Order: sequence, then structure tokens, then C-alpha cells
Amino acid sequence: MDFPFLADTFLKLCGGIPLTLELSLLSCAIGAVLAICLAAMRLSKIKPLAYLAGAYVFVYRGTPLLVQIFLVYYGLGQFAPLRHSFMWPLLREPFWCAIIALSMNTGAYASEIIRGGILSVPHGQIEAARACGMSRLTQFRRIVMPLAIRQALPAYGTEIILMVKATSLASIITLMEITGVAAEIISETYRVIEVFVIAGALYLVINFVLTRIVQAIEHWLTPYNRSRPALPIAAAVDAGEIV
Amino acid sequence: MSDAAISIRNLHKSFGAVEVLKGISLDAHEGEVVSILGASGSGKSTMLRCINMLETPTSGEIHVSGEAIALKAGRDGVVRPADRHQVDRIRSRVAMVFQNFNLWSHKTVLENVIEAPIHVQGRKRAECVDEAEALLAKVGIADKRDYYPAHLSGGQQQRAAIARALAMHPDVMLFDEPTSALDPELVGEVLRVMQGLAAEGRTMLVVTHEMGFARNVSDRVVFLHQGIIDTQGKPEDVFGETGSERFKKFIAG
Repeated sequence: MDFPFLADTFLKLCGGIPLTLELSLLSCAIGAVLAICLAAMRLSKIKPLAYLAGAYVFVYRGTPLLVQIFLVYYGLGQFAPLRHSFMWPLLREPFWCAIIALSMNTGAYASEIIRGGILSVPHGQIEAARACGMSRLTQFRRIVMPLAIRQALPAYGTEIILMVKATSLASIITLMEITGVAAEIISETYRVIEVFVIAGALYLVINFVLTRIVQAIEHWLTPYNRSRPALPIAAAVDAGEIV
Repeated sequence: MSDAAISIRNLHKSFGAVEVLKGISLDAHEGEVVSILGASGSGKSTMLRCINMLETPTSGEIHVSGEAIALKAGRDGVVRPADRHQVDRIRSRVAMVFQNFNLWSHKTVLENVIEAPIHVQGRKRAECVDEAEALLAKVGIADKRDYYPAHLSGGQQQRAAIARALAMHPDVMLFDEPTSALDPELVGEVLRVMQGLAAEGRTMLVVTHEMGFARNVSDRVVFLHQGIIDTQGKPEDVFGETGSERFKKFIAG
């Protein structure tokens, strides 16, 4: 075992972590907003909106993410009006191309997860909200979305993990995140196994931490699913139940 | 009638080809407790749900505190409320208690009670919390304020739902079979709370199968049969010797 090489590789690959995290968290955040809009459109009674969202989900789920990244990165530049638009400073950056492609992709998947969450909200609780005079927006904001998010969170955790792994595709368009750095080291050293094992382990650690965070959020949001009578949040913190 | 808290005129409601309500006219005066009885499928719940537009009538008029709910037929011929804001406003004055409680499961009992006063009526949180605590004490679950609905018995959940309804300062309270989902030993605690509200002079429309409540607490009993009012009147008359044959058969089971 060449420990100095492993240590050196480990440190170099750690340098790719910030970009991996930036890509995954930023695109998850943008994707989440997109997903809520798409889910609302999909469930709307206005048919054209519902069809539009349905078509979007169909296309983005049905085509490979790598193809989508290529289309954004290489494809958009083919259009002269875009090259001269105010968007160009963003669109010519591989980082923003990756963010756009990843966000739009996760938006499609997450919208289905959120739609499932919304559909699972008990009808009676929505009826209670209507019966006390809540406007549609208030119902959605105060009752439907909070319940839908709680329902969707476990599946959404999986989507976040998929996104972290999907950022490795950004290395293809020159971004030096973990996989990009790994590929560079390999092209210099030809030591595929050591480098990729360490890279894989780094993804594993990142996803382990993210999974625990999502679990903690789930635990915190659903005190009513615990067997003991719920304590007020403050008391629960005092009792050390919420870490 | 001007002093009617609720006034229903010639109410019809169909679900597809099935006509559930076939022309109901009913007044509930201020401070009156009206029990609505009837076999399953007689339309009693549907009638109650039309009052706060959880169901939209096919035709007919509904007045709440003298204000007529505006309805209009769309191009597809389906009748809908003409003004959603009016419906929301009326709903905030007509509180409803459901058979299955329908408390919001992600909120504590206290949060359930203060939710609509804050987010529909725009009242101050501190004021709502004080009032909610008083209401929870009134229905006998002050110690459960920080519990989630899932951790309460059915009777406690229904009392919490009644507190949630009271927090809106409603003109009228609608009860849709409030004790039907409860274990028999829990029915009493909910009925006692409702009896207390009746004694305060609240206007209540109660769809129920509790004959004791209908007979002893309500000012008027309305018996629905196949979508029309078969008989109505003071409990002693409806339950008495002179009552309708159909009603006698109904209570005999």
C-alpha cells in the first residue's frame, strides 16, 4: 500500500467536495421551488397547465441526465440570440450550465414526489380548513403543504442522494468536483482503483451525513408519529430529545 | 324571516342522477338548537354540508344571518358559488364539527384552536392563545394543549374540535354526527359539552343519532326521510303520541 499516495489523493479529492456540495445543494434548492410549482400545476384544474407540467415531467424523466447536460452546455450556445442575451454570461459558464441541467432534472422527479405527498393529505383535514373559511392559498400554505412535505420527506431524501451522485456527471463538462478531480489524478497516474475507491468513499460519507440530516428533520417535523405523548418543542430540546 | 340565523328555501341537491335533497325549507332561529334526524341516506349530512358550501346546492336558497349565499350556474350548467370570498367569509361565521374530528394532525391541540383565528380572522396571536386556553378548559382538556391529535382519545379529539370551532366566535355551529365515530363510553363527555353550549344559547344544527340529545336538549327536531322533511316540531310533539308514523318506525329501529 502506497500510503503517501493515498493520503495525497485523499487531500486532493477533498478539494472537490465544496464544488460537489455547491452543485447538489444549489440545484436541490432551485429544483425544490420548481418542483412545488410543477406539482401545483399538475394538480391544477386548469388543463393546459396540468398538461404542460405533465409533458415537462415526461421529457425530463424519460431522457438521460447526461444528454440534458450536453444539451444545455453545448446546445444553447448554438442559438445566436441566446449568445447575445443577458443570459449569456451565465450560460457560458459550465458551473451554471450544470446547475440549470441538474435543477431542471431534479425538479421533474421531485415534483412527482411532492404531488404524491399532496395527494396523500387526508381529505377531512382539507375540508376542516375549508370549513373555517381559509382561502385556497392559506389552505395550501398552512395545511396542505406542511402535511405533504412530511409525507414526501423520506422519498425526497432519496432524491437528494441521487442528486449528490448525479453531480459526478458535471465532471464531463470540465467541472472539477470530486469525480472531476479523480479523473484528472488518474490521467496522470493510471492508478484507477485507489483513486476511485477514495472518491466513492467520499460520496458515501457525504450521503451518510445528508441522510442523517433528513432523518433528523423528519423526526423533528413529526412528533406525533412517536409513541410517547408529544412534548412541546422547547421541552423536548431541554430533555435532549432533539439533537 | 329576518331573525333566522339560518334560512333554507327549497334546497335541492343531486349527485349525478341521484337526487339526495328534494326541496328542503328550514329555518333555525338565533339561540335555537335544532336536531336533524333521519336514516342513513336521508340527506341530513348533505343538507348540513350545503349550509357552509362544502356541498354546492343544485338549486335553492341559503341565507346565513340574513345574507344570501350567491350562486351561479356556469357555462357547463353546474352551479357554483358566485363569490368565493363571500363563501370564505360566511364559513368563518359558521363553524363545523365533523364526525371524524378532522383535527390537523401536524399541529398540537392549541395550534389547532388558534390556527383559523390567526390566519383567517387576522387576530393577534397572544389574544388567541389566551382565549384558546380558556376554551380548552371549558371543554375539559386544558392539560392536553400541547398534545398532538394522534395522542388523544376520540372523545378528547372531538372536544378539541369543538374548542377549535368555538374559537371562531361563530354565529352558528354545525355538528355532523359528532358522536358517531366514538366508542360508546366516550359519547357522554362530548354530549355534555354540547349540552353546555346549548344552555349558553348558541345556535346549533346537530345531525345526530343520539335520541336522548334530540329529545332532551334540542328546541326542535327535524326528521328527514328520502330527501324531504317528513316531520318537524318540538321534541315532545315529534317524539310524542301525535308524531308521524314513519318517525315512530324510525326510532323503533
